[in-house]
Amino acid sequence: MKLVVRNLKKSFEKKEVLKDINFEFEKGKIYGLLGRNGAGKTTFFNCLNEDIDINEGEFYIEDNNNKRKMEAEDIGYVLSTPNVPEFLTAREFLKFFIDINQKRIKDLKTIDEYFDFMKIEEEDRDRLLKDYSHGMKNKMQMLVNIIANPNVLLLDEPLTSFDVVVSEEMKQMLREIKQNHIIIFSTHIMELALDLCDEIVILNKGVLEEVDKNNLNNEQFKNKIIEALKEE
Amino acid sequence: MIETFITSFKLQNTYRTNSIIYSLKQLLLIKRILPNSLYKNRGLKIFANIISILLEIINIFIGKIIYILAMIFVPLSWYNSNVSDTFIHLFMFLTLAGGVLNTYMLNPTKDKYYAIILMNIDERKYGLSNYYYQLIKLIIGFLPFTILFGMIAGVPLWIQIVLPFFVVAIKLIVMNYCIYHFKKTNKASNENIPTKFVWGFVAVCLLLAYGLPAINITINQTILLLVFIISIILGIYSLVKIHNFKDYRKMYKQILTESNVYMQERNAGTQALKDTSLKQIELDKTYTSNKSGFAYFHDLFVKRHRKILTTAVKKQSVVILVIFIAMIIGISVNDNFKSKTNEILMVYLPYFVFIMYCINRSSSVTQAMFMNCDHSMLTYRIYRTPKVILGIFKERLKTLITINLLPATLIGLGLALLLYLSGGTDNSLNYLILFVSIISMSIFFSVHYLVMYYLLQPYNVSTEMKSSTYKVVQGLTYIVCWYMIQIRLPIFSFGIATIVFCIAYCLISLFLAYKYAPKTFKLRV
Repeated sequence: MKLVVRNLKKSFEKKEVLKDINFEFEKGKIYGLLGRNGAGKTTFFNCLNEDIDINEGEFYIEDNNNKRKMEAEDIGYVLSTPNVPEFLTAREFLKFFIDINQKRIKDLKTIDEYFDFMKIEEEDRDRLLKDYSHGMKNKMQMLVNIIANPNVLLLDEPLTSFDVVVSEEMKQMLREIKQNHIIIFSTHIMELALDLCDEIVILNKGVLEEVDKNNLNNEQFKNKIIEALKEE
Repeated sequence: MIETFITSFKLQNTYRTNSIIYSLKQLLLIKRILPNSLYKNRGLKIFANIISILLEIINIFIGKIIYILAMIFVPLSWYNSNVSDTFIHLFMFLTLAGGVLNTYMLNPTKDKYYAIILMNIDERKYGLSNYYYQLIKLIIGFLPFTILFGMIAGVPLWIQIVLPFFVVAIKLIVMNYCIYHFKKTNKASNENIPTKFVWGFVAVCLLLAYGLPAINITINQTILLLVFIISIILGIYSLVKIHNFKDYRKMYKQILTESNVYMQERNAGTQALKDTSLKQIELDKTYTSNKSGFAYFHDLFVKRHRKILTTAVKKQSVVILVIFIAMIIGISVNDNFKSKTNEILMVYLPYFVFIMYCINRSSSVTQAMFMNCDHSMLTYRIYRTPKVILGIFKERLKTLITINLLPATLIGLGLALLLYLSGGTDNSLNYLILFVSIISMSIFFSVHYLVMYYLLQPYNVSTEMKSSTYKVVQGLTYIVCWYMIQIRLPIFSFGIATIVFCIAYCLISLFLAYKYAPKTFKLRV
């Protein structure tokens, strides 16, 4: 399965943020999306999530050579600022998400098993989400997006609010689930991208391009990425 | 200090100008035509600047004329006491009340927040220069109207002239007390959240203002002169104290917190509103639900927000009941009142469009829905699938209609009962029409606000209102309802027309919501 983006263009008035995006994201890989501030990473995610309309082009799912529209169920979007309904407890939030996604969840687990999977402590499970810390809310946001089991998972700087231990846990978790998903991960932290991602993709001047690692070691690869990002 | 004032005035003018251009850009029809480069268009900038300055000038006078007219001049006709003395009496006590309610200096406005917190302008220079500017505006704004209305009320010229200075003196005295209190306790309070003591003081002032003239007691010119002289002396003393106070930095740090500042924009939906609403969740945590899916989700939302959703409606219902009971008593003891009531009821149904508009809670309930629920949930793509959107829409529609039906039913039944008790009507169908049309109006407003919310979803992820179209629709709704006040039509024809209109409107708007909401109901970017 692939997420195919063809000739995608998005402008804000005269400013062309995404000029001509052509890319194929494959299942089983984590893509590290790098770009300088204002390069259009979030715009790209917002386009895929249909938060904003695109000007030209298309994106679709290609499965066994069958092309189909990307539906709401296909996509999960984890924002850098976590948004959770604060009037619910963590358990209630999960129950609601499981309820509305029931048909799509393969091998449904119990709510507590999901909490265990995300390493959310027992005493936190029945607390109102408004009392959760930023990092905990982020965990919950990540968890519901994983439970919904979307084919494409967009992660916008998701690990920055986690402490080092949780961050390692999350990386491990992403590695575990990547087999069944297309994961696109935007970050500014080069080390994180190199450590976690299978492919590095750069968004520069409105165009998306892959940076090949070839036979370079990490330091050389890092320099190559920085050079690519600096390109005017 | 003058330099600081000019800088802050320029700053204020810049973002006001930008706000004017921004509002223009948000209008549905012209937003596509106007480019972002508009903000640097010199001609337009000058135009917006002129509007901004004109607004500032109008602002000096408009509030004052409304204040004197509504709070002093109109009430003069209620009393038999000496008109001139009553004018002075009302002005004096209302000034005392206003003095504690509005100091200017302790009002956490966005202007102060931008200048002091974001732009790091010297707090003392900013605070004082703007404070003096406000006091000068106060004198300039009040003077023409104390003279005009004072003259009509027969108040001596010297009093007409000293009244604005009296207001300033009271403001200075109160501010000096606040500074004294701050020095003593190290606590500065946001004047928009008055303490019980302040409310109590205001209540006493209002009681003395409007109560004493009813029993023919008023402050006379001699007492005013005495109070005025004392106030001026204390005012000058306070001015020196305020001017010499050094620790504005510490004081403003306490007042200009984000939640205080954004509470100013309660209507636009803010963090502060969110904070208050969230406090209410905690108390209701024990509520649970047996439902599933979006019915479960909505059920918990309603139960955990029961207070914000229904408290106002309950209060309204009590007031409505009291009014009707008073009316029934009036009818049974006074024949003249009885026949007048019957006469009014027969042609005043259009007036109730405005009343139903005023009591309908849908606008604030949809706002609470956004702040406490959709604000976070709309970031989940799955929440925006047609099935979920329409499922929750249906649940919400039921809730909104139910919430608003309680006072509507009371009004509908109350009016029909009043009509019957005040002498009845030739056509007994009128009772039914009266009741059903009131219920229709209530349902109409519930549907109207919810559909508008779903079709125009006006907020962005930072809970800021980003749609001028939404504001225009709100404004138009108000204008139409207000216009209805002027209309007098028989129950039968207006009632039938209202019912038909409401049914048609609801059907059309529900159709539109079902068709378009899955596309339009998302966070504004």
